[in-house]
Amino acid sequence: MTSYRLSQGGLIDRARPLSFSFDGKPMSGFAGDSLASALLANGQRLMGRSFKYHRPRGVLTAGAAEPNALMTIGKGGRTEPNTRATLQELYDGLTARSQNRWPSLDFDIGALNGLLSPFLSAGFYYKTFMWPAAFWEKLYEPFIRKAAGLGEAAKESDPDSFEKCWAHCDLLVIGAGATGLAAALTAGRAGARVILVDEQAELGGSLLSETATIGGVPAAQFAREATAELEALPNVRTLARTTAFGRYDGNVFGAVERVQKHVATPQVGRPVERLWRIVAGRALLATGAEERPLVFGGNDIPGVMMAGAARSYLNRTAVAPARQMAIFTTNDSGYALARDLEACGVALTAIIDSRPEGAAPGLYKGQARILTDALVRDAHGGKSLSAITIARQGRTETLRLDGLAVSGGFSPVIHLACHRGDKPVWSDAQGAFLAEDRKGLALAGAAAGLSGLAACYEAGARKAVALLDQLGIAATAGSVPTVEGDIVAPATKPLWSIPGIRGKAFIDFQNDVHRADLALAVREGYAHVELAKRYTTNGMATDQGKLSNVNAIGLLAEARGVSPAEVGTTTFRPFYTPVSFGALAGSSHGKHFQPVRQSPLHGWAKKNGARFVETGLWYRSAWFPRTGETTWRESVDREVRTVREAAGLCDVSMLGKIEITGKDAALFLDRVYCNGFANLPVGKARYGLMLREDGFIYDDGTTSRLAEDRFFMTTTTAYAAGVLNHLEFCAQALWPELDVRLASVTDQWAQMAIAGPLARTILQEIVDEDISNEAFPFLGARAVSLFNGALKGRLFRISFSGELAYELAVPAGYGESVADALMEIGKPKGLCAYGVEALSVLRIEKGHVTHNEINGTVVPADLGFGRMVSAKKADFIGKHMLAREGLTAGNRHQLVGVVPLDPAASFRTGAHILAKGAAATLENSLGHVSSSCYSPHVGSTIGLALVRAGSSRHGEEVMIWNGLRGEYTPGRLCDPVFIDPENAKLKI
Amino acid sequence: MSMTLRHHPVLGGKAALRLKDVTLEALPEGHVLQLLAAAPEAGPGLRERIGDSDLRPLAPGQWLLIGNAPLTPEDLTGLEERLKPVADIVDQSHGRVRIALSGPAARAVLAKGTAVNLDAAAFPVGHAAQTLIGHIGAHLARTGEDSFELTVLRGFAESLWDDLAQMAAEFA
Amino acid sequence: MASLIACPHCGRRPKEEFTVKGAALARPEPQAGADAWFDHVYLRDNPRGPYQEFWHHTSGCRRWLVVTRDTATHEVEEARDAALWNRETAR
Ligand SMILES: [Zn+2]
Repeated sequence: MTSYRLSQGGLIDRARPLSFSFDGKPMSGFAGDSLASALLANGQRLMGRSFKYHRPRGVLTAGAAEPNALMTIGKGGRTEPNTRATLQELYDGLTARSQNRWPSLDFDIGALNGLLSPFLSAGFYYKTFMWPAAFWEKLYEPFIRKAAGLGEAAKESDPDSFEKCWAHCDLLVIGAGATGLAAALTAGRAGARVILVDEQAELGGSLLSETATIGGVPAAQFAREATAELEALPNVRTLARTTAFGRYDGNVFGAVERVQKHVATPQVGRPVERLWRIVAGRALLATGAEERPLVFGGNDIPGVMMAGAARSYLNRTAVAPARQMAIFTTNDSGYALARDLEACGVALTAIIDSRPEGAAPGLYKGQARILTDALVRDAHGGKSLSAITIARQGRTETLRLDGLAVSGGFSPVIHLACHRGDKPVWSDAQGAFLAEDRKGLALAGAAAGLSGLAACYEAGARKAVALLDQLGIAATAGSVPTVEGDIVAPATKPLWSIPGIRGKAFIDFQNDVHRADLALAVREGYAHVELAKRYTTNGMATDQGKLSNVNAIGLLAEARGVSPAEVGTTTFRPFYTPVSFGALAGSSHGKHFQPVRQSPLHGWAKKNGARFVETGLWYRSAWFPRTGETTWRESVDREVRTVREAAGLCDVSMLGKIEITGKDAALFLDRVYCNGFANLPVGKARYGLMLREDGFIYDDGTTSRLAEDRFFMTTTTAYAAGVLNHLEFCAQALWPELDVRLASVTDQWAQMAIAGPLARTILQEIVDEDISNEAFPFLGARAVSLFNGALKGRLFRISFSGELAYELAVPAGYGESVADALMEIGKPKGLCAYGVEALSVLRIEKGHVTHNEINGTVVPADLGFGRMVSAKKADFIGKHMLAREGLTAGNRHQLVGVVPLDPAASFRTGAHILAKGAAATLENSLGHVSSSCYSPHVGSTIGLALVRAGSSRHGEEVMIWNGLRGEYTPGRLCDPVFIDPENAKLKI
Repeated sequence: MSMTLRHHPVLGGKAALRLKDVTLEALPEGHVLQLLAAAPEAGPGLRERIGDSDLRPLAPGQWLLIGNAPLTPEDLTGLEERLKPVADIVDQSHGRVRIALSGPAARAVLAKGTAVNLDAAAFPVGHAAQTLIGHIGAHLARTGEDSFELTVLRGFAESLWDDLAQMAAEFA
Repeated sequence: MASLIACPHCGRRPKEEFTVKGAALARPEPQAGADAWFDHVYLRDNPRGPYQEFWHHTSGCRRWLVVTRDTATHEVEEARDAALWNRETAR
């Protein structure tokens, strides 16, 4: 055992012990521990195996950038793979499992990959797996899957709930360290609406790991007092456990709050994660800086850790990372750790400082041996660090120890500032990439390259004032509290390559990319940063290169003999850290996946035993099975026959309904329909065809004139929303000078079709007015009084089925009651409920078209509507393109009917029509079957088809060919109207 | 023929959902009239004609006139006459359903659905806006410091109710 | 994750509330001739930079807008009511 818990200190609550398990082994920690700190406290430094070589790995950081300590947390549907142990709060009963090892973490067969490493170098995948293609699927991919990879997702569904939320603020502060707290306090005190987010469980950032004092109190206490003040302000919202993961258009930030990821059993009704979309007037990035690893041999052996992380474990959670430590640093920050280690009584063998001049005089007052101008060349050990080799002025020296803390300087965390395509800028002075302030956004503190608590505090307050000033909100920065005991570490020259390395020196820990891989990429011509990334996979793991990218760029720059500025960075994109699919989906799953749109006659349909079918968001009644009927066809055939012989009632409420008023309403309709409407008399309905500007048909429907300046339009169900958008476009963007007003009334009216020879007899019983053929002829449309004046409705004498038919519209709340009454009245006369399946058969028999035929490639003449197109009107949508040669040619696809020669044979929608005797090829296709059904009236399958020059081919024998199923049905083209071509039935 | 006609309120079966910090309530299906003016500037003229009825802006030149009592056809005709020629009426009393949301957590519930900033300064009492609540379009009006009304298409009313109930669940 | 468009009537709203139609072009006069109509229906500029498009605030005020959007940055410079645009620009 090497790492251990100190007997005192830290922010943990020793009065609240927590038990947890790791790979089945029971362990214990305290409230305030992260999973990583608790594991270290239990002496568990081996936390995982690496991706490619299965090398033993321990925790490297104490935060979001952690590449090694990824674990699977939880059980069953709550299993969460790839959880960073550094960010996972410990809770009682937590179960954690290591990943990427088999059969066990301690003994892993995949570690043999390490011996095969000469074959697993950069570009390996490209070189080896390129050919033959079949090998990829059968051999390579399964092999890689087994050998490499991360945790496995659970197969069970997640029992927890997730949600999304919007928030608005004047100032969004991201990061609650010294900089962020100063900014939030400044803005909050000024009365601005502030949101402060931080990914840790407690606000304070690095202050929680700090031994300095601020304003005379320990830094952590200062952070807690500041947090308390902020939480008491009504205009401030603080969000701990919240990672801002992306910056989007309009200064909207995405953030994910882990609401209940730190409890064993989440409270029902509350989400476990909440996805915030924060609309920020201004945003301040106080995201701090990431400490940079150093690239020496064996730099991944458990026991090697970032210096700042070691300091955090030590001060915040009272955990010593090892018993015998050394520090390898390029800057003064390593000395803060040295001081704290000694204060905690942890043995410190040496400080290896790469700088010839070492630290500033007087900075370090401890006992450790200091080696300046020295480098750690190699670390040694298997599952635990045992020694390091130091190179100094041409000589090497080996030190036996079990812990090495590393600091290679700092890379400001600038991701969010670069998410909208902005490029970071290399600063020679800072030895780091920086981002510039831009519209809506500024960076402050360590995120802007600063070091030192006082400087960060001052900058946070100052930048908050400046940002608020842009919004016209006055704020004052106030004075900076006195900071004592802080070690400021000015930027130093970065250290990229260390000479004489023997072992593998890792750059990208998570993807197992080491220095030799990068060198190979350069040798093979992939030195461009974007190419090197893909060739080596550096920076492509789930940590997105947080620790590795800058080192890779530095090493590429060195290899090419240029500045990192010239190498540049790869592109920053959201997400900053992985976001669960649950959070992205929010509540949109199960019952809440999408809304259901319910017809006002839904209850009526249910009572009558309807089977429903989803049509967009609508649930439409498809057919109404009766006792004894065993197939849907039996029910549909019966419904069709009943409509043709007696009467049926069908719910057509989901047709789009639009009320059009205004003194120019008639003129407007004349312009949006290709046929005339201005002359439509009050009290009449007319079938209309709406074209697109390119001349093709957009939608069809009937429009009725209820008064001089009031029309009622119906659209197809599918295009209801689109047609209204289109009409509004015409009214607002094309002809705003017309007085035309549009309102969707789809939901206002329950609409039912009553069709069949007995329709009038049945309807007359509830309609107060005379609806005889004389009083209310075909295409009549009028307001009616129902049930002796009890209700007002609208009646339209229109027919989709080809029978005597009406559509009755009543206020939606009365729909069910009216339909019930009609069923009761009609029952003795044989009235039945019919659904969309029967509706479809009825309309195919009558040769009526739907969007199966109006498929975006047909003009009116193709459907036999050529004469409907007005020649008189000077203008209507589609007029000017409709005259094009290609749209008037005689060999266009035209609507025909099609029947099988053998009535017992059938065919399907989508089948091709071939000339008799022609080979079955797509070149020979004359068109296709657009709709088909079994017709009880004809006694066989019938179809509508769009066939080249079809209107002149009635009677021609063809082959109906379904290439997908290999079906060939000899058939005959015919008139598309299979029933009552004289329309006699409509006018009785 | 004469028979008893029954009105089926679409949320008739929903008892009010009273949680600790928020209450969800289906309002009576009274009247919702969509007023359409030729020009957006017609607003002031409208007021003179309808008195202090509950008039909520819907869009430029459009308002919703809302009340708990159903209107008779005669009421409607009378109103139509009074509004001429400033605005036309389209009766939406059956096409729109109202849900009230109130309590200290009402804003937090709505923020899960809409991007409209509900801060009192940006969306004061009396303000209204058509917006999306999750996937469902609704007209949102602030009727008090902590109370809101949603007016939604009848066909979506049940789905919106279910969504709101889920959004409110954490405030039990 | 989000894009906001400042509707002149409703304020800033997320793009999910809108429907985009494409280039904001004035409709030719009926007698403009075949070439002008062909241009209008089929030919589009594809600039890198500011571009005027029709957007419909479908889930809000249901007004059509002319939105000036930078195709490279998605920055929305202006959004005005299409009726206003029509009166002032399109003719
Ligand atoms: Zn709008």
